[in-house]
Amino acid sequence: MTTALPEAALDAAPAAALLRLQAVEQFYGGRIRILGPVDLDVREGEFLSLVGPSGCGKSTLLRIVAGLLHPTRGTVLLRGRPLSGVNPAAAVVFQSFALFPWLTVVDNVALGLEAQGLALMERFKRAQKYIDMVGLSGYERAYPRELSRGMKQLVGLARALALEPELLCMDQPFSALDVLSARTVRDLVLDLWSSTQVKTKTILLVTHSIEEAVAMSDRVVVMRPNPGHVTETVDLRALPRPRRADQPAAREVIDRMYGLLG
Amino acid sequence: MAVTVGLVALALFGVSGLQPYDTPQLDPSPALLPVYLLLSLVRLAVAYSVALVLALGVGHLAARSPFARRLILPVLDVLQSVPILGFFPVAVGLFIAVFGGTALGVETAAVFLIFTSMFWNLAFGVYESLITVPEELNLAAEQLALPSALRWSRLVLPAVMPNLLYNSLISWANGWYFLIASEIIAVGPARYTLPGLGSYLAQAVALGRNDQVVVGLLVLIATSVGMHLLIWGPLATWAERFHLEETGDHPRTPRVARVLVRSRIVRWFTRSVVIPAGQQGLAAAGRVLALWGTAGRWLGAAVAAAMVLGLGAMALRLWRLFTLRPLSPEVWHIPLDLFLTLLRVTAALLISTVVSVLIARPVMRHPRTRGMALALIQICASIPATAFFPLIVVLLSWGLGMNAAAVLLALTTMLWYVLFNVMGAAAAVPQEMHEAAVSLGLGRWQSLRRVFVPSVLPGLVTGCVTAWGAGWNAMILCEYIEAGRKVHSVRGIGATLDRATYQTGDMQIVAASLGSMVLLIVAVNHFLWDPLYQRVAARYKLDA
Repeated sequence: MTTALPEAALDAAPAAALLRLQAVEQFYGGRIRILGPVDLDVREGEFLSLVGPSGCGKSTLLRIVAGLLHPTRGTVLLRGRPLSGVNPAAAVVFQSFALFPWLTVVDNVALGLEAQGLALMERFKRAQKYIDMVGLSGYERAYPRELSRGMKQLVGLARALALEPELLCMDQPFSALDVLSARTVRDLVLDLWSSTQVKTKTILLVTHSIEEAVAMSDRVVVMRPNPGHVTETVDLRALPRPRRADQPAAREVIDRMYGLLG
Repeated sequence: MAVTVGLVALALFGVSGLQPYDTPQLDPSPALLPVYLLLSLVRLAVAYSVALVLALGVGHLAARSPFARRLILPVLDVLQSVPILGFFPVAVGLFIAVFGGTALGVETAAVFLIFTSMFWNLAFGVYESLITVPEELNLAAEQLALPSALRWSRLVLPAVMPNLLYNSLISWANGWYFLIASEIIAVGPARYTLPGLGSYLAQAVALGRNDQVVVGLLVLIATSVGMHLLIWGPLATWAERFHLEETGDHPRTPRVARVLVRSRIVRWFTRSVVIPAGQQGLAAAGRVLALWGTAGRWLGAAVAAAMVLGLGAMALRLWRLFTLRPLSPEVWHIPLDLFLTLLRVTAALLISTVVSVLIARPVMRHPRTRGMALALIQICASIPATAFFPLIVVLLSWGLGMNAAAVLLALTTMLWYVLFNVMGAAAAVPQEMHEAAVSLGLGRWQSLRRVFVPSVLPGLVTGCVTAWGAGWNAMILCEYIEAGRKVHSVRGIGATLDRATYQTGDMQIVAASLGSMVLLIVAVNHFLWDPLYQRVAARYKLDA
C-alpha cells in the first residue's frame, strides 16, 4: 500500500510534521469516493481544526489520522514512517462520548492504561490525576449515566489525556453539549493545551462551527463535500490569544471562511 | 386483510379435511410434496394471522390499561414459559371433543398448536414497543385528536412495526419447528395424521427413510430462504422508516437478509409489491383494529372469565385424578427425572452461551457477514429438531451416549435463540464504542471481557431466558426419540412425560410431570432470570 517515495520528497518535508497525509482517498463500498485526494500535515505542537459542513469527510479524515480507518488509497506517515493500524501517538475524544456505561468514571479513564500494561496502583494514580485535572474530583465512583452531558465529555477528555498521547484527536466534541457546558469544556481544553501539566501538545479538532475553530486554532483546514476535499488552509498564528469573535481581525477571518463555504 | 386470509384458508381447510386424516401412512411420493408444502403453509399463515391480530389487540390493551396489564402480563409470562409440547395432548383432546372428531377438529387443533408457538413473543413485542413510544408522540396524537383508525395506522402500527417484524421472524421459525409436532397428533391410542410437510418429515424419520428426510428438509429450507428473500427482507427494508430512534448514521437494528435484498429481482419485488402492500395493509389494519377499542374490552373480559372457568374446571379434574385412584409409585421418580433434565438443559445453555459469544464477535464486526449470518440463523432455527433424529441415530451408533445426544438435540433449538439475541445486541452497540476500545489500545482478551461481553449482556440474558424455555420444550422431544423404527430414550422428565402420554396413558403421571415442570420453570424465571435481567438491564444498558 505504501508506494516507495522519492527520497527527495521525504527530505523536503519540514521536520516539524508529526503526521503527514499524502493523497489520501476514501471510498465507500468500493465505488463511491467520499473523500480525497487530500494532502495534510499535522505539525508538532499545533492546534489544527478541520471545518466544513456535514458530509465533507472531516470525521473520516480524523479517523484516518487516528488509525481507526485505513484509507482506500494514499499514505499516512507518522514521523516519516508509514502508519499501519491504530496510531500509537493519538487518543480520541468522541462526539457521543463513547464511555462504557458499565464502568465507573475512574474505570473508564483507567481502561486504556490497563491496556498499556500499567500496574494497578499506577493506573489509578494516573487516572486520578487526570480526573482532578478536568475538575471531576469526587465523581470517581459515579457511572456515566449519572453525569450530565458536559461532565461525560470531561470524562471522555480525561480518558484520552490519561494515555498521555502526543496527538489529541477530538471529533466534534462539543456538538452534543449545550452552549454553556460546551464553553466550559472548550476553555478547559485551551487551558490544558497551553499549560505545562499536560504532555499532549498537538491537537486535531473536527468541528462544524467556524467560530469555534477560529477561537481555538493555530491553523484551520476548510473542507467541502462531494467528494470531501480541502479548499483552503488558513493560518491564524498571527491572531492574538485569547480570541473573541467580536475582535475585528477575528471577525474578518470568520466572514472570509463563511464565504469559502457559502 | 388478516380476516380475508383466514376465511380463504378455512375454505381450503374444508378441502384438505375431506381427505382421510387418520390414514396411518402418508403417500410418500415426492410429486405430492408441493401439495403438502402448500397445506403446511396455509396452516402456518392462518395461525400467524390469528396470532398477529390477537397480539396487537392484547399488547395494545396491556400497554394502555394498567388494570388489563396486571392481568395480561403474568398470564402471558407463565404461558410463554410453559412447555407447550407437553400440553398438546390436552389441547388436542379438547378441540377434537368440541368439533366431534371431524377433520375440521383435527385441523383446528393443529393450527392452535402452531399458534401457541407463535403468539407469546409477538404479544410481548407489541407491548414492549408500545410502552417505549416517547410520551411526546402519544401527546401529539392526543392533541391532534386522531380518530381511532388513524391512531392505529399512523402511530401504533408504525411504532410496533420494527419489533413486530423481528418477532415475526422468530414466530415463523418457531412455527416451522413445531410443524412436525402439530401435523401428527397422537392422543393415547388414536393417531391423526394431517397431510403436510411436517407429517411427511415425521413419517420419514420414524420409518428411517433418510432420502425422504433430506428431500423434505431441502423443501423446508428452500421455502424458508424464499420467504426471507420475498417477504421478510423487503418488509425489513420497508420498516426501516419506522425506527423511532434512528440517528441517520447507521441502522441500530440488525437488518435481516440485507445481503439478499441487493439482487435486482428482489428490489423490483420490494418496490412494486411489498411496499404498496405494506402501505395498504397499514391503512386497512388501522380500520380493522379500530374496532378493538370497544370490542377489545368486552373480548378481554370474556377471555378472562373463560380462563377463570377453565382453571376451575381443570383444578376439579386434577383433584379427582389424584384422589379417586391411589397414587402410582412412578410419581416418586419425578423429582430425580426433573433434576436430570435440569442438568441437561443447563449444560446446553452453557454451551450455547460460550459458542454464541465466540461466534458473534467476529461475525458482527463485518457488515457483510452480519446480514448473511442473521438470515442463516433464522433458517437454521426453523429446521425442526426431529429432522436431526437420523443424524443422532448415526452418532449413537458411533458410541455417543444418549445423554450427549439429548443435549445436542436441545442445542439445535436453544443455540439460535442465544446467538440471535447476542448478535442483535452486538449490532446495537454504537460504532464509536468500538472505536474507543480500539483507540485505547485494548487487546483481544481485554476488549472481549471489558467491552464486548458487557455490551451484549442484556441480549445474552434475554436469549438465555428464551432458550431456557425452549430447552424444556425440546427435552420433551429429545429425551425420547423414535427414529428408524426404534425408540431411544434416556431418563428424564421429558421421557417420563412421553411414555405416560403415548404408551401407558397414565394421566396421573402426565399431570404430575407437567405440573412439576411448569412449577420449576416458573420458579426459576421468578427467582433467577427476572432479578438477573433487572440487574443486568440497569447496569449494562447502552445509554451513556
